[in-house]
Amino acid sequence: MTAINALVLTGYGLNCDHETAYALELAGAKAQRVHINALIDGSVSLDNFQIMAFIGGFSWGDDHGAGVVQAVRMRTNIGDKLLAYIARGNLVIGICNGFQCLVNLGLLPGFDGDYTNRSVALINNDCGNFRDDWVHLTVNTASPCIFTQGLSQLDLPVRHGEGKFFTTPEIYRRLSANQQIALRYATAEGHPAKGAFPLNPNGSLDDIAGICDQTGRVFGLMPHPEAYNHWTNHPQWPHLNERIKRGLAQDPQGLTPGIQIFANAVSHFAK
Amino acid sequence: MASRIEVSLKPGLLDAEGEGLRRKARDYFGIQIDSVRTVHIVTIDAALGDEQLQRVQHEIFTNPVTQISSLAPLAIEADWVIWVGFRPGVRDNAGATAVEAMEDLLGQRLGKEEAVYTSKRYCLRGQAIKESDARRIAAELLANDIIQQWKIFSRDQWRPEEGVGIIIPKVRLDHVPTLTVLPIDSDETLQRLSDERNLALNPNDIPVIRAYFLDPRVQAERAKVGLAEPTDLELEYISQARSDHCNHNTFRGLFHYSDPETGEDETISSLFKTCIEAPTLTLEKQKPWVVSVLWDNAGVGRFDDHHYYTITGETHNSPSNMEAYGGAITGIVGIYRDPLGTGRGSRLIMGSYGFCVGPRDYAGDLKPRLHPRRLLDGVIEGVRDGGNKSGIPTPFGQVLFDHGYMGKCLVYVTALGIMPAKINGKPSEKKTILPGDLVVMCGGRVGKDGIHGVTASSETFSEHTPAGHVQIGDPYTQKKMHDFLLEARDEGLIRFITDNGGGGLSSSVGETARFSNGCKIQLEKVPLKYAGLDQWEIWVSESQERMTVAIAPEHERRFFELSARHGVESTVIGRYTNTGKLHITFDGKPCAYVDLDLLTAGFPQWRFDAQWRSPQDRGLHEPVLREPRDHSQLLLDMLARPNICSKNWIARQYDHEVQGTSVIKPLMGVDRDIPSDAAVLRPVLGSSRGLAFSQALLPFYSRIDAYHMTTCTMDEAVRRLIAVGGDPEHLGGVDNFCWPTIQYHPVDNPDGRFKAAQLVRSCRALRDLCLAYGIPLLSGKDSMYVDGHLPGRYGESHKVSALESLQFSATSVIPDIRRCVTLDPKMVGDLVYVIGSTADELGASEYYDLLGYVGCQVPQVHPEAFLTRYRALSKAMGQGVVASCHGIYRGGLGVHLALKAMAGRLGLEVNLDALPADGATRNDKLLYAESAGRFIVTIDPSRQGLFETVMGDVPLACIGKVTEIPRLVIRGLDGETVIDLTVPALKAAWQKPFGDLS
Repeated sequence: MTAINALVLTGYGLNCDHETAYALELAGAKAQRVHINALIDGSVSLDNFQIMAFIGGFSWGDDHGAGVVQAVRMRTNIGDKLLAYIARGNLVIGICNGFQCLVNLGLLPGFDGDYTNRSVALINNDCGNFRDDWVHLTVNTASPCIFTQGLSQLDLPVRHGEGKFFTTPEIYRRLSANQQIALRYATAEGHPAKGAFPLNPNGSLDDIAGICDQTGRVFGLMPHPEAYNHWTNHPQWPHLNERIKRGLAQDPQGLTPGIQIFANAVSHFAK
Repeated sequence: MASRIEVSLKPGLLDAEGEGLRRKARDYFGIQIDSVRTVHIVTIDAALGDEQLQRVQHEIFTNPVTQISSLAPLAIEADWVIWVGFRPGVRDNAGATAVEAMEDLLGQRLGKEEAVYTSKRYCLRGQAIKESDARRIAAELLANDIIQQWKIFSRDQWRPEEGVGIIIPKVRLDHVPTLTVLPIDSDETLQRLSDERNLALNPNDIPVIRAYFLDPRVQAERAKVGLAEPTDLELEYISQARSDHCNHNTFRGLFHYSDPETGEDETISSLFKTCIEAPTLTLEKQKPWVVSVLWDNAGVGRFDDHHYYTITGETHNSPSNMEAYGGAITGIVGIYRDPLGTGRGSRLIMGSYGFCVGPRDYAGDLKPRLHPRRLLDGVIEGVRDGGNKSGIPTPFGQVLFDHGYMGKCLVYVTALGIMPAKINGKPSEKKTILPGDLVVMCGGRVGKDGIHGVTASSETFSEHTPAGHVQIGDPYTQKKMHDFLLEARDEGLIRFITDNGGGGLSSSVGETARFSNGCKIQLEKVPLKYAGLDQWEIWVSESQERMTVAIAPEHERRFFELSARHGVESTVIGRYTNTGKLHITFDGKPCAYVDLDLLTAGFPQWRFDAQWRSPQDRGLHEPVLREPRDHSQLLLDMLARPNICSKNWIARQYDHEVQGTSVIKPLMGVDRDIPSDAAVLRPVLGSSRGLAFSQALLPFYSRIDAYHMTTCTMDEAVRRLIAVGGDPEHLGGVDNFCWPTIQYHPVDNPDGRFKAAQLVRSCRALRDLCLAYGIPLLSGKDSMYVDGHLPGRYGESHKVSALESLQFSATSVIPDIRRCVTLDPKMVGDLVYVIGSTADELGASEYYDLLGYVGCQVPQVHPEAFLTRYRALSKAMGQGVVASCHGIYRGGLGVHLALKAMAGRLGLEVNLDALPADGATRNDKLLYAESAGRFIVTIDPSRQGLFETVMGDVPLACIGKVTEIPRLVIRGLDGETVIDLTVPALKAAWQKPFGDLS
């Protein structure tokens, strides 16, 4: 099988490049960290990649709305190349600041193949502050999202100040009807968080943590799958470790659920 | 022509910022506001066409889904409008990124004189709001007059079509840069000039400086380059280099220490040399993992064969005390530049914080510049934005309240980095400079920032004078520079790198020039924020986010190519030479020509008289106290003490997961809400090695003796590492001293000699415990003068001095993170052990403080016995026998049993009569003594034998077990139950003071 090449955007205040590249490598891709300017000046071409990661961070300091300036720069300079990249059947994942950038670019929700329309937003958390915590998530198994295939429930960390998903009732109905709502904040048992803080950490509409386009190939989420790259990232790992020591649990096998999200992207091309 | 865009959330959307303001006004001042809407104002001082303006309005500044905007003032109902904007010259990060975005969108550069400014107006609704309320909200919640200006409009004053007007806080200096030559005909003249120009030259240094410039050899050499008497730039350079901040004159001073009780009398030359350098040099030889100490911006330790970690810490007290947010963000972003400037550059992997402030609910008569509550809010936010926006996790931190910090707060910041052991096959920790190398300044531009620190600014404020002495850090600019410099490092382009911090170019270029033995700088090449700076100002400005780099001439092209790729400004400002001279010109005209070795020659040592008085001599004694009857209520009240209770709202605002390396987080346990003993990271993804980090801060014990304050602080930091699985054979330390003024003055500082003796004793303790525990000091800093003069009720002023404070940071490397242990009990039926004995050591304890006493019997560290204990426990952890472990720290056994029960959400049933004790014979003493060297661990009963065998003859005892029903049940010495509390009751008490904050 030929290598699946993944591009990890860097520069201008983005900051999850090392661990996102590491996560993609664990998932079986060949990851390359590429500066936004290298795409713009053409020294690196999107043609060589199948997976593109818009990563977390504070692009341009997030001073004018999270992900806004990055979206302006990318749309202005390489908007057409991005659209062509998606049209070729490739995958895009936007994590946290990357998700914010995708919605400001209009790559999400991407109704009817229109990837230029801003119709949803991620705004200030209701708690009024940046918040770092782990959350429980449920996957919409009816969603076409490629990244969440085979997953039903998982825990991931969130770390953001502007993660409250917001849109109009009309757009929400379309997202819901199209099964584009791929990921929701939930209780430990997998029931809906129903907006309750801190289970739903930001006040997101309908507990929305991540959405995809109608093809399932473009996916944005606020939680950070790349920060669950090892079983000891999970806050309850010491408890599990003690159970393993006493023969009450098995050593963790295989990929973490965080890495599985990237592995789904890689295996999409193997099919 | 200038224009203005107003942006606000669509009506009906929750305005989280406005809501936060409404809550604070109610909680802090009792002001009832019905609602607040926030309007963001972007003022564009540039010649843009209508169409261009509309493009930037809609494509950059307005989110069509959530926001409304207008080029005229938005019509938003308000009873009061408060506008807040920056003063001229204050870093407007959002204004700067707005320019970048507009240039990108419009495809054109803004002109040299064009700029964008951001500000906000708050629309307050509420019938009950009075004008005095609006003023209070502006001055005490929204703005700080050092960096911001504001305007208040009542409903009647508001003109809907004008709004706040178009306000352009542009710096206009209208000044021709001038170099001034200063006469030095007598010591008195130089002293007078020093006073007039805020040079802060030490009177003892003045004859040495004059002698240099009057030396015929020097005069002859200077004449050849066109200089005679010293220039202002030269004297500024000398003043900077000789300042206590740069030269550590206090720690290098001559101390005469005496103890009248014992008759001890000793003269110590340089506490730094005897108590910091000497033990570290000794240990460097014994510990092969020590890579580089005592000279670079940060210390270097080996993480594994291929990676080194770097660490340093400092404080940013005075600026934070003036402008909490700006001081703190500048502090944390500044400390990150030290690991970045260590070796040939290391990547940042974590930061930490320590905040010491006055009581958050202070309601007394003293009027500090910022109320402790506001100050704390500001420093929390400053470190939050600095850390989070840099993409560096902040997994550890401490907050401490004490009245002594009303005079000046402490803001400790610490940073760690990692670098490859070799770069292009050469050791990464080594660097030097060759004559001919280029002097490059990277990052931000230079303005009138931080000149003469926060004390100076003799200028009167006008509408366009820069408020430069307090700065706002810019993590965005620095993050770009960080990424760029590491890429340049990996390509082998960096010969030498250092931070531009205190002292600016004067310090960074002055110090690096010693490696090649000279430099020639063309000062006109330094990029400025605005015109009109004098040459000396360019040279000493402390404008942030800058690094000084030496590169070989053949790497110039590639280095600048990468710099442009990353959107970073870099400038060649001169060359390193081997002339022995610091030679500076401006447009070809000479500004400075000084021998580099001037600073190492002949300046007199500072002198201090240090007189110790024993606690007994000072009238301290143990309180006459009988045992309390209501132990349950006592424990609940202990848990609700500000220095014990939950401060989770702070830790949750700090990103501690970024970089994906988190192993032990700041908050652990079943509900992820109990502070862990230490942080553990996996800084090299793909490796199972861990880096453990902890800090301790116990200034309270200085009330009795700073010697024991120091040993207890260090012991706690070490014990925190051991508790999570740290290796006692790899202990690195960083000392951060914060001390009140120690120079005796009969009126201004009558107890200066005692404070000096406390410093001597603290340094001796540092030396003693470093040697006993085997802790090389990888880095450290000192910050003196932690005093303030606060106005009181009648217009009088009071000097308030901080407790003698030492923050000690410690590191360890863990071979396999699977051996890490957290504090939460994990299994019902496990045995509860206490390791270490409890003595009658309640002096300066939290318990005594609750009852209003200091006492006398301060906890003591017994290094040999403790280290044996730590080694045994570490061995037990290596064998996987320990299910949970937690040190017993401030508050004693009672408090820490409660924390463990809360962490596991399980019950603990324990008997105090089983507890290993050494002189403590009462329930309250056993529960609240703060004896060092102790842990609470839980053990699988089936491994009890193995555990006890491994621990050998360490003092320990099984005092009870873990139970299913979440209750803390403690039986006293006579077997009666003295405490029986549910975990929810414990947690309610512990969360009560700050639980509502988020």
